[in-house]
Amino acid sequence: MSHQPRFRALDLTLIGMFVALMAIGANITSWAPFLVIGGVPITLQTFFCVLAGALLGRRLGTLAMTVYMLVGLIGAPVFAQFSGGFGMIVRPTFGFILSFILAAYVTGLVIEKSDGNPSIARFITATLIGMVINYVVGTNWMYFAFKFWAQAPEGFSYSLVWSWMLAPLPKDIILSVVAGMIAPRIYFSLQKTSSYTRRTA
Amino acid sequence: MMNSMIIGKYVPGTSIVHRMDPRSKLIMVFFYVFIVFLANNVKSYAILTAFTFSLILLSRIPLSFIIRGLKPIFWMILFTFLLHLLMTKEGELLYRLGWLEIHEQGVKQGIFISLRFLSLIIVTTLLTLTTTPIEVTDGVESLLSPLKKFNMPIHELALMMSISLRFIPTLMEETDKIMKAQTARGVDFSSGSFQERIKAIVSLLVPLFINSFKRAEELATAMEARGYQGGEGRTKFRLLTWKFADTALIVLLVLLAIILFILRS
Repeated sequence: MSHQPRFRALDLTLIGMFVALMAIGANITSWAPFLVIGGVPITLQTFFCVLAGALLGRRLGTLAMTVYMLVGLIGAPVFAQFSGGFGMIVRPTFGFILSFILAAYVTGLVIEKSDGNPSIARFITATLIGMVINYVVGTNWMYFAFKFWAQAPEGFSYSLVWSWMLAPLPKDIILSVVAGMIAPRIYFSLQKTSSYTRRTA
Repeated sequence: MMNSMIIGKYVPGTSIVHRMDPRSKLIMVFFYVFIVFLANNVKSYAILTAFTFSLILLSRIPLSFIIRGLKPIFWMILFTFLLHLLMTKEGELLYRLGWLEIHEQGVKQGIFISLRFLSLIIVTTLLTLTTTPIEVTDGVESLLSPLKKFNMPIHELALMMSISLRFIPTLMEETDKIMKAQTARGVDFSSGSFQERIKAIVSLLVPLFINSFKRAEELATAMEARGYQGGEGRTKFRLLTWKFADTALIVLLVLLAIILFILRS
C-alpha cells in the first residue's frame, strides 16, 4: 500500500467533465438539429469515446466511460435521447454503452503508440476501430438480450440480428472517417492551451 | 430541461419508498433482476405482478409517470410478444391465417415474457423515480465500500460520478452559449452542405472541450487548495440511515423469492 494517491484531483475532475461531455455528445442533435442526417440523429458518442482514449490516455479514458455508464444507470438522463436509469440494463441497446469502455481502452492504446504526435491517419484508424468495437459488442449484446431476457424462440437467429445491425454501417464508416479528421483539431488545440499533458509525461 | 438533468427523472415525494435508504432499494433492484426469472407459471407470474404493483402503490407515484417511463421499451415488449405469439408451435391451435398460426402456448408465453419485462422495467424505473442520482451515488459508494479492501477506487468512483452530475447542466449551458457566440460570428448551425456542417460542428466542439478542460483544472486546484487528499478519513455531508422499512423490504424480497421458488413448476 502506497501513500501516494492513485488519482490526482485533476484526474477525478477531468473524468467528471468527460462524462458530462459524453452526455452532450450523445444528444448533440438537441442543440444542433442540423446533425440529423436523413432522419437519423447523429450521436457523437463513439467520437467522444475515442477522444477520451486519446486525450485522457487509455487508463483514465476507460474509467471515464465506466463512470459514464454508471451515471446513466443511476438515473441521470445522459444516454442518447436523454434516457437513463437502471432499466437501461435490460434494453437491447445497452451493449453499445458497454462497448464504449473497451473502445476507449483500445483507441487510447492506438493513440498512445504514437508518442504524443499522432497523425490524422492514426486518428482515423482509431475511430474506425472504435466503431468496429461498437458494432461487435453492441450486436452480440442485442442478440443475447433477446435470447436471455425475452427468451426469443428458435427462428430468432444470430445472422438475423447482424442483418438488422449492418444497415447503418456505410453511414457510420463515413462518419468515423470524418470524426478521425476532426479529432486532431481538438486534440492539438487542447495540447496548446491546457496543462493536462503533464499527466501523461 | 436543465433542472431535469440535475435530478434525473426523480419525482419528489414523501412516500415510504421515497424515504427508504437508497441501499435497500439498490439491493432490491439488483436481486429483482434475477428473481423475475423464477416465475414460470400462472400462479407465480400473478404473485410477481402483484408484488410489482404493490410497490407502485406504496411509492404513490402517479401511474402516468410510470407509463411515460415504459414508452421507450413499449416497442420491444410488443415485438417480444409477437415473436412468441407467432413463433411458438406448441399447444392447441387457436387461429390460422394463411401461414400465420397462433397456438395456445404462444399466447401464454407471450403474456408471461411481456409481464416479466414489465415487472423488470417498472421496478427499475421506480428506483429512478423515487431516488435522486446523488442519493444513489451515496448508496453505491456505501454498498461497494467493502471492495476498498481490495484496493478498488470506490470513493474516487463515487466522487467522479458526483462531479459529473454537478457539471452536466453547466456544460449544457456552456454549449448553448458557445453556439450563440459562434452564430454571432457568422457560423450557420441550421443548414449548409455536408462540409459546412462539419466546419460548424468543429467551431462548437473545440471551445467546448477547451472550456471543460479548463473547468476541470480549476476544480482540481480548488479541491487541492481545500486539502483534498483522497477518501481516507473524509466525513460525509449526507448520511445514510438504515430504517425498519429497509429491513422489511429485504425480508419481503426474500419471501417473494421463496414463494416463487415453491410455486414454480
